[in-house]
Amino acid sequence: MLFEAQGVTKRFGGLTAVSNLSFGIEKGEILGIFGPNGSGKTTLLSLISGMLPLTSGTFKWKGEEIVGQKPHRIAAMGIVKTFQNPQLFSELSAFENTAIAGHLTLKRRLGSRRLTGFFRIDRSIEVELAAQVDRVLKLCRLDAVRDQPASALSYGQEKMLGVAMGLMCEPELLLLDEPASGLGSEEIANLEAVLRDLRTRGVTLCIIDHKVGFLGRLSDQALALRNGQLIAIGKPDEVLNHPDVIEAYLGRRHA
Amino acid sequence: MLFWILCLAVPLVVKAEFILTIFIFGFILGVLAISFNVIFGYAGQLSMFNAAAFGISAYATFLSMERLHVSFWGGLVIALVLVAILSVIIGAICFKFQLKAFYFALVTMAFAELARLVIMNWGSLTKGTLGILVLQKPTLGFGDMAIKIDSTLGWYYFSLAALFLSALVCRGIVKSWIGRAFEAIRLNEDLAQTLGIDIFRYKLLAFTIANLLAGVAGALFAFYTGYIEPSYLSTTQSLDVIAMVLIGGAGTVLGPVFGAFILTGLPHVIELSAEIRSIAFGTILILTILLLPRGVGGSLKMLTIPWWKRLRERRAAGRAA
Repeated sequence: MLFEAQGVTKRFGGLTAVSNLSFGIEKGEILGIFGPNGSGKTTLLSLISGMLPLTSGTFKWKGEEIVGQKPHRIAAMGIVKTFQNPQLFSELSAFENTAIAGHLTLKRRLGSRRLTGFFRIDRSIEVELAAQVDRVLKLCRLDAVRDQPASALSYGQEKMLGVAMGLMCEPELLLLDEPASGLGSEEIANLEAVLRDLRTRGVTLCIIDHKVGFLGRLSDQALALRNGQLIAIGKPDEVLNHPDVIEAYLGRRHA
Repeated sequence: MLFWILCLAVPLVVKAEFILTIFIFGFILGVLAISFNVIFGYAGQLSMFNAAAFGISAYATFLSMERLHVSFWGGLVIALVLVAILSVIIGAICFKFQLKAFYFALVTMAFAELARLVIMNWGSLTKGTLGILVLQKPTLGFGDMAIKIDSTLGWYYFSLAALFLSALVCRGIVKSWIGRAFEAIRLNEDLAQTLGIDIFRYKLLAFTIANLLAGVAGALFAFYTGYIEPSYLSTTQSLDVIAMVLIGGAGTVLGPVFGAFILTGLPHVIELSAEIRSIAFGTILILTILLLPRGVGGSLKMLTIPWWKRLRERRAAGRAA
């Protein structure tokens, strides 16, 4: 098991946003987390990435507890999260955005040369990094807009750039917060292809979205949340046909 | 590069002490402007502690020379260690509580004011508002080889060297992986954090480096003018530095130095009666900020980029033909 959540609970004052949640993610799979608005999906991702502290429960990464670590430490361990609304450096080009996101990778490559290389970054490392940025942009199909400022990109491209920046951190587990929300059908098809491509490259994905069709096609495993509680877990079609899930989305009459 | 060569050559052409003096002030305040640019222009934190670091270092350098009988350089090292310790404490408090923008400015300003009041009221050590007369001058070299820096020309090259080293440090930081982390923090802190950047550590680093450079400027300023007073630490001084960086161009290595020159030189260039001079000076500052939002340095950079590009394109076209 690459990642495990055990009895995870988060309360905001009197509101329980996530309640006693347990699940696991196997290496190389795509886990889809379903649930209507307000079901605690985004809170769950913020908990995993260390942006919010847990009330109780624990997370295990490769068998070791990672609760209480700061967000940047968690990112350095290989768990990287993208934002629901693209968070970009809007003044910089797509290339520069992705290059800045390569901070961790750059540090890893520099290794002990970090101090000696204080006054300049080795040209060869610079070239390698630029090549990696171009690979990531190509993978995310952003190579055509490489030199455009982030503020000039379409919404779909902005979201994709967010994914590209996450990928530059060389994550083992990429957490995607509603990657398909606000996208047109063509953009969704594009996103799906990119995410499948990522899986073949060995990146484990955990995706939350309320676009049932998109996520159902993509995921290997699925779990559904309602009011912070787990209502179903298993194969996507089983979860989506689970009466409680249908009720959560459409109301009691349809169940 | 051109800037440095010109600066080296100025005393060969200009003999007037008065003009060289303006240059010296420009160089020393240039170091201060560079220091503020590191924390504000690159790391994006509006620190109001720069003048305090400038003043504390001036006092500490002199007092350690007087009380501990060390050389100027020994005094400077002690002062910088003190500034570094204060920076880490104050920075840690501010950044642990995640103070941003104006909250950070306000808290650092409060610490600066605290330092100023301590210095003003600790009469037995600092002579309070009377200020301290500094008669010693720094020396270069050891023993019989030591050269005392007390001529205008000596100070010209001494302060120019300090400015050059500061610019070199600033450039080194900007071009390294640290500079990229600063940039990410300035542009979007939350995002920087999820990309694995330890924002606490890098902000603390930027704050400390900035205050250390300001400390160097403070010691030089005190020993050049031969006088130290509590107003070194005043908020007005901090605001002057902000004006230098904004006018010169935040986020460029040399921009703030131009700003420092404009602010020190301009009042002397305007040959009008005192009242009209202040009005003219203020008007020029306001117009610069309104018309050149990237500052003088940033605007010069914008002008040169298309020119280079044009030249390169023309060459490429020539080769193709």
